Amino acid sequence: MDRRANVRDTYDRIATHFASTRAYAWPEVESFVDSYADRETDVALDLGCGNARHAEVLAEPATRVVGVDVSRGLLETAADRSRERGFAVELVQADASTLPIRSGTVDVAVYVATLHHLPTRELRLASLDALADVLASDGVALVSAWSTAHDAFEETTGFDTTVEWTLPGGETVDRFYHIYDPEEFTADLEASSLETVSFELSSGNCYAVVKPVVD
Amino acid sequence: MKESLLEILCCPLDKNDLELEDAEYDDSSEDSEILSGTLVCTACGERYPIEDGIPNLLPPDMREESPA
Repeated sequence: MDRRANVRDTYDRIATHFASTRAYAWPEVESFVDSYADRETDVALDLGCGNARHAEVLAEPATRVVGVDVSRGLLETAADRSRERGFAVELVQADASTLPIRSGTVDVAVYVATLHHLPTRELRLASLDALADVLASDGVALVSAWSTAHDAFEETTGFDTTVEWTLPGGETVDRFYHIYDPEEFTADLEASSLETVSFELSSGNCYAVVKPVVD
Repeated sequence: MKESLLEILCCPLDKNDLELEDAEYDDSSEDSEILSGTLVCTACGERYPIEDGIPNLLPPDMREESPA
């Protein structure tokens, strides 16, 4: 089976429990959104939105927020959260490397903790190009991925692995990850149609603020 | 989904416009949410379902039903 479909099926299986453990937005995402709060934001995109905790942060400055995820199970948790907490997000089931969003429509995007679930470098690069394509020429995005800088890993170069998710009953479900080394992460951004504005390592994750390369 | 979302969405395969067919609306919501229907690419003709109000715009090779 297509390994992208495996990632989708995994998150469909663990969606409810996973979402219940993801209550709070990451501070790095909040400060990114805060730093662009003054500019006019018509359309914001949360790519790999999960339970929409970051779409909720984007809903403050943006006129409309689109939340995209490959997993229908996670999208259902996002719909529940938006109803319970009273914020608007427009949900779409889609694949990050073939985004069904018109070119140049997105003002601000977050692509957080999702890139590392795409099983090949070709697909990861395609997703970065897809993000560049949907961003407006003055649009910005925050991209993050888990990295070898995290205490959990001894490796110093990027590698593919699976990380177990343990359900409440003790059953475990494998999730695919590509753990990036920081140099590899910045090199993949460089190879894409995105230009890096700033880069940092925080809590074992690589973060980059990016904008589309304008021809 | 709101019908105005079509201003932003496009076909994942070729990025062309999508047309809404067979839409059923939720009459109880203020801005007429679409509960079900089909989005059809005006160029390649690929059909994408709207299920429980959420459009499924996965490319066809990823769209098969997930195991429960």
